[in-house]
Amino acid sequence: MEIITVENLKKGFKGREVLKGITFSVKKGEVFGFLGPNGAGKTTTMRCLLGLLRPDAGEVSVFGENMAESDRLRRRIGVLLEKDGLADRLTAYENLDYYARLYEVQNQEERIAGILGFTGLADRRDSLVGTFSTGMRRKLGIGRAILHDPEVLFLDEPSAGLDPEAQRMVRDLIADLSREEEMTVFVNSHNLDEVQRVCSTVAILHDGRIRAFDTVERLRSGGGAEVRFVLSDGASAERALAVLSAMQGVEEVSRDGEGVSARLAGSDVPPLVKAVVDAGCAIEEVRKDHRSLEEIYLSVVRQAEGSA
Amino acid sequence: MNGILTVARKEAGLILRSRQLMASALLVTVVFSGTAAPAVLGSVAEGGASIDPVIFMVITVTGIFMSYLFSGQVFMREKTEGTIETLLCTPLSLREIWTGKVAGVTVPAYFLTLVGAGVISGVASAIRGEIILPSAPAALHVLVVVPAFIAVTVGLLGFVQLLLGMRENQIINMAIIFGVIFSFSLSTGLAGDGFIVTWGTEGVMLAVAAALLLAVGWATRFLNRERIVTTIP
Repeated sequence: MEIITVENLKKGFKGREVLKGITFSVKKGEVFGFLGPNGAGKTTTMRCLLGLLRPDAGEVSVFGENMAESDRLRRRIGVLLEKDGLADRLTAYENLDYYARLYEVQNQEERIAGILGFTGLADRRDSLVGTFSTGMRRKLGIGRAILHDPEVLFLDEPSAGLDPEAQRMVRDLIADLSREEEMTVFVNSHNLDEVQRVCSTVAILHDGRIRAFDTVERLRSGGGAEVRFVLSDGASAERALAVLSAMQGVEEVSRDGEGVSARLAGSDVPPLVKAVVDAGCAIEEVRKDHRSLEEIYLSVVRQAEGSA
Repeated sequence: MNGILTVARKEAGLILRSRQLMASALLVTVVFSGTAAPAVLGSVAEGGASIDPVIFMVITVTGIFMSYLFSGQVFMREKTEGTIETLLCTPLSLREIWTGKVAGVTVPAYFLTLVGAGVISGVASAIRGEIILPSAPAALHVLVVVPAFIAVTVGLLGFVQLLLGMRENQIINMAIIFGVIFSFSLSTGLAGDGFIVTWGTEGVMLAVAAALLLAVGWATRFLNRERIVTTIP
């Protein structure tokens, strides 16, 4: 079941076309990663979905409705934007209490206490948010966004400014929300590692167009994997380099010391191993790695820039 | 309704706990009301023993100035800090957000006009050696007409601050400051000029305030989320 749909969305500002007709959808329970360099149009897309901007052309919908035309629909979503929406001059408790009232959260006291405990800010309950570090604000911002148990969560750079431990907390939180609450999560992020770890589906936006849109698994396995051989000596490594370079289906081969890496264009691994063994090379270890999301992202962006 | 009250409560609370802002506002109120002392002396000395003209003019202008002072804290600050964008994603309609903020500013601004009225009455009483209170029409002015004008001013300022960008707002702010200073000069001049506050005056004032309030409320239909978001500095 598709919860979020974007069809041929176009949006421009002052004559500059930011979104040039993008199409994608997000299914219920998916954690969707929206990637792209600065200025690619990620925030504009999110704002269109949230009803903060009106599309110039195309359709956007959440639960089948345009959020710009339905105030009650916003009760079903949680939002953490780049600016966290927290008032500096209110305490952590007061900020949560304010939003709990706006969303008419049931059992407010209990829920707020739960959120403060969950975000690790229970001991800062009565501190002004203006005194919080970036990480603490981000945590509280996420707590605020999920305070009313939304069905869909929109997160814009959720781990920006967080230390590694807090980043892991955010990742775990997103994973939990998706797995246990079946929450659909839309994540705008620059953090490719985070997206790779938590997102099930990814779209890469560049220059206002979607350049890649698929599950993380398919994106990583598509376009070939990388096989790394560790050989017992330099001579074996030299021979393996020559053998692999001559093989069909191998896009690129590189050597560092006794290791040789071959990037495959869909080729199977066993024939490569057989060829290296047949060449008399002594193999210590063979490992197959899929491309990381970072590599895919960079390749997509470079390709897009090259074709522009 | 709950949403409006929640927004109003938060905004009023933030203004009241802002010590620096409240101290400045209180100082301005006391000084403005205090500088009306010569007019009070004039009107009292003429045998009318009336503080009505001063109350009518000075308290109205004080209320408008407080509206200006507090509106920036509530509308513009939320916009410059970017928190408005998150508020726009809540189930509240734009009209509810606007109404809640207007109510949140009107309450503390009104509180200060009451302080100002108290100062004027106190000064007049001290001069005459007897308690001098405003007449019934003037009391109606303080209790009903002034808060209505405060709400109109806050509503209009809030509408403008949400609708326009920083530069346009700076120009408008300057115009308002000059307008208020001009109004103060004019009001203190008029106050000692035999002006009488009547039920008729108050009826007209109330009708004008109500009409303006309706007009500003109607104008909020021209507010939209895109306009607000794209004018965030």
